[in-house]
Amino acid sequence: MSGDGVGASARRVGGYGRVTGHQEYLADITLTDMLHVKLVTLDCARARIISIDKTAAEQVSGVRLIMTAEDLPHPMPRFGPQFQDRPVLATGETKYHGEPIAAVAAETKDAAEAAAKLVRVDHEVLVDGVFSVSRALDPTAPLVQDPDLRPDDPLANTNILREHHFGWGDVDSQEADLVVENTYEFPMVTHFAIEPHGFMAAPDGDGIAIWSTIQHPYLLQKTIAKLLDLPLAKVRVFAPDPGGAFGGKQNPKLEPLVAYMSLRTGRPVRLILTLDETFQAVRRASTEIRVRTGLNSDGTLVFEDFESNFLIGAYVDIADRVVTKGNYLAAGPYRVPAVRIIARGILSHTTPSTAFRGFGIPQVTWARESNLDEGARALGIDRLEIRLRNLAEQGEEFVPGDTPADGDWQQAVRRAAELLGWDEPLPAGRGRGIALGLKSGPTTGLSYSTVRLLGDGSVLIYSGTSDMGQGARTVFAQIASQELGVPLDRISVIMGDSTVVPYDQQTSASRSSVLMGTAVLRACQDIQAKVRTMAARLDGVDESEVSVEKGMVYLPGREATVTETLVTGLGPLGGELVGNGEMRKDKDLEHPLGGSALFFEFNATAVELEVDPGTGEITITKHMTVSDVGLAMNPLQVTGQDEGAAIMGLGHTLMEHYIFDEEGRIRNLGAIDYRIPTSLDLPLELRSDSIENADGPGPYGVKGISEGALLAVSPAVGSAVTEATGLIIRDLPLTPQRVWEAMMERV
Amino acid sequence: MKTFEYTRPRTVAEAVRLLNEHGPDAQLLAGGTDLVIELRNGWKEPEVVIDLKRIDELRPSITEDGGFIKISASTVMTDIAEDQRIQKYFPALVESAVVVGSVQIRARATLAGNICNGSPAADTAPPMLVYDAVVAIAGPNGMRRMQVDDFIVGPGKVALERGELVTAIELPIPQRPMGAAYTRLTRRRGTDLASITLCCGVDADGITRLAYGSVGPRAVLLVEMSGVLADPNASHETKADILNEMFLGASPSLRSMRASPDYRRAMLRVLGARALQTAIERLPRETAA
Repeated sequence: MSGDGVGASARRVGGYGRVTGHQEYLADITLTDMLHVKLVTLDCARARIISIDKTAAEQVSGVRLIMTAEDLPHPMPRFGPQFQDRPVLATGETKYHGEPIAAVAAETKDAAEAAAKLVRVDHEVLVDGVFSVSRALDPTAPLVQDPDLRPDDPLANTNILREHHFGWGDVDSQEADLVVENTYEFPMVTHFAIEPHGFMAAPDGDGIAIWSTIQHPYLLQKTIAKLLDLPLAKVRVFAPDPGGAFGGKQNPKLEPLVAYMSLRTGRPVRLILTLDETFQAVRRASTEIRVRTGLNSDGTLVFEDFESNFLIGAYVDIADRVVTKGNYLAAGPYRVPAVRIIARGILSHTTPSTAFRGFGIPQVTWARESNLDEGARALGIDRLEIRLRNLAEQGEEFVPGDTPADGDWQQAVRRAAELLGWDEPLPAGRGRGIALGLKSGPTTGLSYSTVRLLGDGSVLIYSGTSDMGQGARTVFAQIASQELGVPLDRISVIMGDSTVVPYDQQTSASRSSVLMGTAVLRACQDIQAKVRTMAARLDGVDESEVSVEKGMVYLPGREATVTETLVTGLGPLGGELVGNGEMRKDKDLEHPLGGSALFFEFNATAVELEVDPGTGEITITKHMTVSDVGLAMNPLQVTGQDEGAAIMGLGHTLMEHYIFDEEGRIRNLGAIDYRIPTSLDLPLELRSDSIENADGPGPYGVKGISEGALLAVSPAVGSAVTEATGLIIRDLPLTPQRVWEAMMERV
Repeated sequence: MKTFEYTRPRTVAEAVRLLNEHGPDAQLLAGGTDLVIELRNGWKEPEVVIDLKRIDELRPSITEDGGFIKISASTVMTDIAEDQRIQKYFPALVESAVVVGSVQIRARATLAGNICNGSPAADTAPPMLVYDAVVAIAGPNGMRRMQVDDFIVGPGKVALERGELVTAIELPIPQRPMGAAYTRLTRRRGTDLASITLCCGVDADGITRLAYGSVGPRAVLLVEMSGVLADPNASHETKADILNEMFLGASPSLRSMRASPDYRRAMLRVLGARALQTAIERLPRETAA
């Protein structure tokens, strides 16, 4: 469908600038008198800092500040979205490879880099670091976090941050014909946003201005205001559209450091991370998940029993939330009489893990779906059939007390199977797999939007969402175009300035189309109401006789466009109409996650592949991904998100992982030895499709999308490898070498 | 990045003079696809960078002369891969040139640079060994020529003396029908550094030339004269035994993240057998006299 309204594959707002290099990313912004910052780190994971000697570094021409823990308030300021445990700079001990110990600000980037190398950090490498789940749980292991940081916490003297228990029914009293028990591992992977993280800060009158590639500018504003004891109104946050984020830019990381450095020097300072440094800043939690699946001989699920260990890193960031939200839905989209989930967030001397597309669900999905396939094979039941047999029907409360199944998921599964040709004869040497993923959308939310209909009928939309490539600007503009009858080229979307744009809770959990979309829609409806009043006044009729819909004003005996009505109604002085919209989903303190799912992202992924019997190399011949999206406001953008998520999932499945040495150094920092898929690595055929039944909670029936197509890639591929080769591999990634090693072990 | 002096000589003689004057403090710039990264990362900190791109004698050119195809030092991979004579005589070199870096890299990277960089994983090294390429070198004492097998020394090292630079790669046009194939092992299909590079050529006299790299300090060439490898009717087992002998010299890195030593050794056998088979299939069949 062409056009500018909802349902049209309208051209991306800001897309031209992105593809031509004209978009202004954070690193393109220069400020007068700006200083450049370089971090000082140690080439080891865990070390005791004895002393720091700045003498040599201070001699480098152009150096203006070398900041260490000594130069910060005492005790060390700490922050974090869940636990206030992350220090501005390491103090006393480094907890992971790449943790900043000091930072140099200089007139040039070269000077900062040269001086950073000259900062002498006298330190003792502590070789007994915690880099694995088993070591973390060993009573003789060192504690990653100082117990004093966790007062009144019974687990403070362990490396377990939290142990969560979820579930329903009584697993132990269930009788199953078959119990399948296995442990599945998922490695550490990183977000690899094409734009590395960047941070700037500058004194701003009696306050401060912060620039960040952040997804949650208002959380950043609160964090800085609290650390610096400033009112929110004195912390101005600029959040230029990020160049990819995937969850890795949700939460503040180095903004407090640049803020303190800016206040200390009285000058603007800027820190742009290298790609290598982003590996040390953000990653997905690695996991070891033991799952026991109880099945009846007809394939009916009897119970699911999970023990799920997430290795979260040295500071919590948002990882405890990843553990709870990821594991709460561990049993997936199925009808299961009894479920027991024990989920632990485990601290380690590694990069702090954070939100990452899928938010814990890809790891549990790898375990659950793979184990279900092992059950299906043991029972001789088709892997598609066993899923359809157990899949929750629309409206079914498959997780007691939570949102019932909000889509016709059977339809999505059947569509994926049909696209792949599941029932067709399998070509020789190939294998197929199908897997289902389910993730809950936001459990709380608060978004405000202001929309201004200017005197000439053009529109300004104010939204605190971050458009990091997902296309939020475009769908908000399409909503306004639809409601106010204004073409997209007369609409601007303003984001990324906290002094201009009203509050938005965050850009995460694929929420923005639903939550901010509703706020934009309501702001447009607010304007429609004012147009209605205006039209009634102009024609001297009662408001009840006037209606406004899709940019048109319907009056007794005539109709007019919103713009015509506006121009006449505003009169010679001109002016504008301002609409405000709000969408909120409040906390539910009774709910284990603090709120039920606003919607679910449901996806069915089906693949067909072949494995080179000599090299172990996997060639994916077909990859079909079908998501239940409610309604595609912009079908082209939905396809882009689904295909992007699918390819990202293939990276995690086939090639991506951190490689550590014995002392916890990340050996494959950077692009050379951490490989992500290129266009030549794509499946020979990759197709996505959407199920659209307009049954979502957002405008026009939309649900959130963007993460679904990643969730079930690993188990679908793993299952296909098993069918093609007979091998069962329970650890990722499925590199050629790993597949070959499994072939050799069998021999 | 450390600052350096940038020079742009107009003649080979001037470049040689600069190179001789500055010795190890000078770095040559052709495509720059290795050098620029090394400069940016501070791995190389030359005083002088000598840009070869404005030297008329080195301008991109591929010429046929006296039984050789001569490729000038500033000729890039894209041009090599598209040249019909190279496609005809040296198809395995084309197969290696089209996997160097990415599309953008291949439009800048030169064949001479790929060899002079001295990487054990250089994609074009095995086919150049199989095709018996000659390196033309200019220096303070004039021109000299050297087999590429003698030119490649070890990681980052080639047989260039102070003041010397490569002006061309010269490939002898095969006098007998030949079939050849290049293959490699990577972690992904797109842009990657190879864990194994391997080229195999068989000719109408039954001689097999096999070169492989990325499993030791430099790419190595082995020649098998018995005719068994090139024999389409010899058994796979017999060939496998001979190939295994040829690969005994491989010493893959024990610490590499890209592939384990066991995997590399095993894949040498797999890729070697496959490349040999392809080379045999590509050998033009002689009609009975």
